[in-house]
Amino acid sequence: MGQTTVVDVNNLSRSFHGKRALDGVSFSATAGHVHGLVGANGAGKTTLLKHLLGLLRAATGSVRVFGLDPVRDPVRVLGRVGYLSEERELPEWMRVDELMAYTQAFHPTWDETYARQMLESFALDPSKKIRELSKGMRAQAGLIAAVAHRPELLILDEPSSGLDVAVRRDILDAIVRTVADDGRTVIFSSHLLDEVERMSDHVTMMDYGRVTLSGVLDDVRRGYQRSHVRFVEHFDQPPVLATALAMEGGGRSWIVVHSGSIEQFHHSVLALGGEVVESRDATLEEIFLARTGRNRQQVEAA
Amino acid sequence: MTLRSPTSAMLWELWRVTRAEIAWRLALPIGVGVAALLLGAAFGPADNPASYQRLNDHVAAFALIVIVLPHFVGWLSMAKLNGSRPGFPLYLAYTRPVRTSVMVGLPMAYLTAVSMAIYLASAMVLRVTSGYAFPLQPVAAWIAGLAVVLMMAAWSTRNRVFQVCVAMFAVVKTLVAGMDRITAVEVPDEFDWPPRLWPTLFDFPRTDYAWIALIGLASFVVTIVMVRWDRRGDSVPLAAAPRALAGVITRTPDGGLWDWLVGLFRVPCPTASATRAQVWLDLKSNGMPPLTIGVALAIVILLMSAVSGPIDAAINADPDVKCPIAECFYVRSAPPLFLTPLSLVTVFFFGGNAFGIRWRQGRTYVSPFEATQAYGTAELAVLKLLVKSACVLAGLIAIAVSFWISIPLLGDAVFVQIWGVPLSSRRSVITDAFAALTGYEQLALAVVAAVGVVVWVASWAALGALRTRYRRLITIAVCLLLLYGVFFVWLGVAVSVDPKTASQLHLDVVHRAMRWIAAVATVSTTVYVFWSGFADHVLTTRYASGAVALSAAFAAAWLTVLHIAGVQLAGMSAMHAMSVVWPALLPLMASGLAPWSYSRIRHT
Repeated sequence: MGQTTVVDVNNLSRSFHGKRALDGVSFSATAGHVHGLVGANGAGKTTLLKHLLGLLRAATGSVRVFGLDPVRDPVRVLGRVGYLSEERELPEWMRVDELMAYTQAFHPTWDETYARQMLESFALDPSKKIRELSKGMRAQAGLIAAVAHRPELLILDEPSSGLDVAVRRDILDAIVRTVADDGRTVIFSSHLLDEVERMSDHVTMMDYGRVTLSGVLDDVRRGYQRSHVRFVEHFDQPPVLATALAMEGGGRSWIVVHSGSIEQFHHSVLALGGEVVESRDATLEEIFLARTGRNRQQVEAA
Repeated sequence: MTLRSPTSAMLWELWRVTRAEIAWRLALPIGVGVAALLLGAAFGPADNPASYQRLNDHVAAFALIVIVLPHFVGWLSMAKLNGSRPGFPLYLAYTRPVRTSVMVGLPMAYLTAVSMAIYLASAMVLRVTSGYAFPLQPVAAWIAGLAVVLMMAAWSTRNRVFQVCVAMFAVVKTLVAGMDRITAVEVPDEFDWPPRLWPTLFDFPRTDYAWIALIGLASFVVTIVMVRWDRRGDSVPLAAAPRALAGVITRTPDGGLWDWLVGLFRVPCPTASATRAQVWLDLKSNGMPPLTIGVALAIVILLMSAVSGPIDAAINADPDVKCPIAECFYVRSAPPLFLTPLSLVTVFFFGGNAFGIRWRQGRTYVSPFEATQAYGTAELAVLKLLVKSACVLAGLIAIAVSFWISIPLLGDAVFVQIWGVPLSSRRSVITDAFAALTGYEQLALAVVAAVGVVVWVASWAALGALRTRYRRLITIAVCLLLLYGVFFVWLGVAVSVDPKTASQLHLDVVHRAMRWIAAVATVSTTVYVFWSGFADHVLTTRYASGAVALSAAFAAAWLTVLHIAGVQLAGMSAMHAMSVVWPALLPLMASGLAPWSYSRIRHT
């Protein structure tokens, strides 16, 4: 079954003051899915999302959203996009009701009832100025402005960063509701890998401006194993094991994150006189740490 | 770079924040002062030594005012740190393990010392250049005192009213006290503080220095105490201040003057179309401040003109006053000489930044909230410019109308004259001259004035956008232009002083080159921005057609205005004709440059 491509980024590169922020990034998002974007600080997630919104111009490569260039055609792209940023930059002098009215004017698809329901459920006072709102309330106001016009594509840049559990839940609920509307797409970046794991069906991992991993979350997780290995011999340094990406531990007991052929891995463990005590699918966090080299002992992939 | 102590780290931070401002605070007054002194020396009537001396004395006094004037304004680079809001600008340092006294005292000491150093350096350069005895430590001490009080006003409270009142009181008090000191002795047949008397006049008594030190110390202590309360999140204890004063000082912080003006009028946001909503937003956030300020200043001009007559009469009734009211510098001279020009400059100043570029903690950026709204880049840029221009124009008209109405109230004072005739007598002449114009000519004048304001607003907006995007390049370009200007002035002076070393021919060549450069730059910029705008899909054929039509209308109006002014293109040299017609190209350039530059910051 063919899937509609909503976002298509091809070989995108961008530098700031000589520092590569994006390096040949290719990324696509299909309609009706939640795409999680994960990566360390400075990995290039926000830069990529800004390109999707047309806030940054592609230096090399191309960016297409709904088949259009967001820089050349901002009206037709942004009219179908909802956006909430980590910084939640809203005009501080506006009142909440003015923010809603202003945003409504740009979107003929604005759902007044939905906006009012969300305002009530968040207990936001429409007469309050943005300046007077707490960080969580600002996020909620920004979220209503981003989703009340039922966007075809919702882009959230670290939406739950620095927010309490209740507001984070509101945002995640909004993502679920957006996807529940037929054919809507969500792209969100987050540091909270458990959040991405829970919400996304596609995941893209970025590191130093490159996409290091991208695919359907279940496939990604199935492709990586976390195994507890025990050896007879004592190892001061991590033993060389086929398909191993990262290791933790010491002496005779090691925790290994590995990908590829399980048989090959087992074979290499046996060859060193060890045994696999326990094995399971790796979590996204374990995969992330193994792929980005932020684990304590990184191993060259065999 | 290794910073070995919190103090050195803070000093380094302060230097980084203020170095650009230090540069222009030094360069601009020195440049203007030196240029004025050189021009005075070069073009003064050398055949009449008395007149020559009098003219150069006035120029020296003007140069002294120019180097002192910047110190009546607080440190803008510090104010920018918290978006020009009142309160301690280095509030991010609250979390650092540094005592409040150091956190406050060090910047205060640094800025005070730098203010003094800037003045002393400027005065010494002017001394060397002109030979006049520009005062050093007396004025530097006054500047130091004023700087500390202004910092106290700005940093110790988040209440704008309190801040403005204290700052205004400090500035006025300093001015009045300073003027009292230097005009204490009546000097016959010239102004009361000629340069030859400066060494005596500025020899302030020791008690002045003691007062300055005392005021500085008190300001220093008050600021530390207030910032300490702010750092702890405490309110001002009522025991320490009367209830009313404590209420004023601790009032909920507002968003500063600009935000206050933005929130002054409540108009519901239209939802019928994106254009109306955007007009509403720009009117509120960008347009209302200059308009409100313009109207407020217009009212002040009118009121001041109305009360100036009785006040002057009261002054004149004093038997000690020897100067006839029509000849002396009394209250009625303030509206035409200071208030109206300053009001016009203020409204023009508030007409900048039409694209709403923000500065915070060293970051310059355009609001991502607006940038991510579904609205075309060129349309958004033009809408912003038109709304801002309309409000600036309305503010200017309000001031002009107020002044016009005020003229009969000012009487025939000598200071209010045009070409030796009192302004009140000129009023009917101006009215008759305007009435004598045909409807088309009046329309042409209105078009030139209106489009001129739009071009002004667009140029500043474009410059701001380009400076945000290409900071270094624009700084270099501006410096080159300034250098060219200085070179031109120098050559003009050289030709006048010593025609052997620099001939009129050199001056003509440079002048001609300048005119050619301006014309070529205008044409090539226009062609490039339209070409690039079309290539980037920022501009459309419809937009370009509108811009060309508007520019054509302006060109026609401009030619009509030239005709009214008696300028005849027929028989004029090509070079001269080009210089005269060149401004007609500006609207076309601005209409291409503004959306193009806005696209550079919306899509960086």
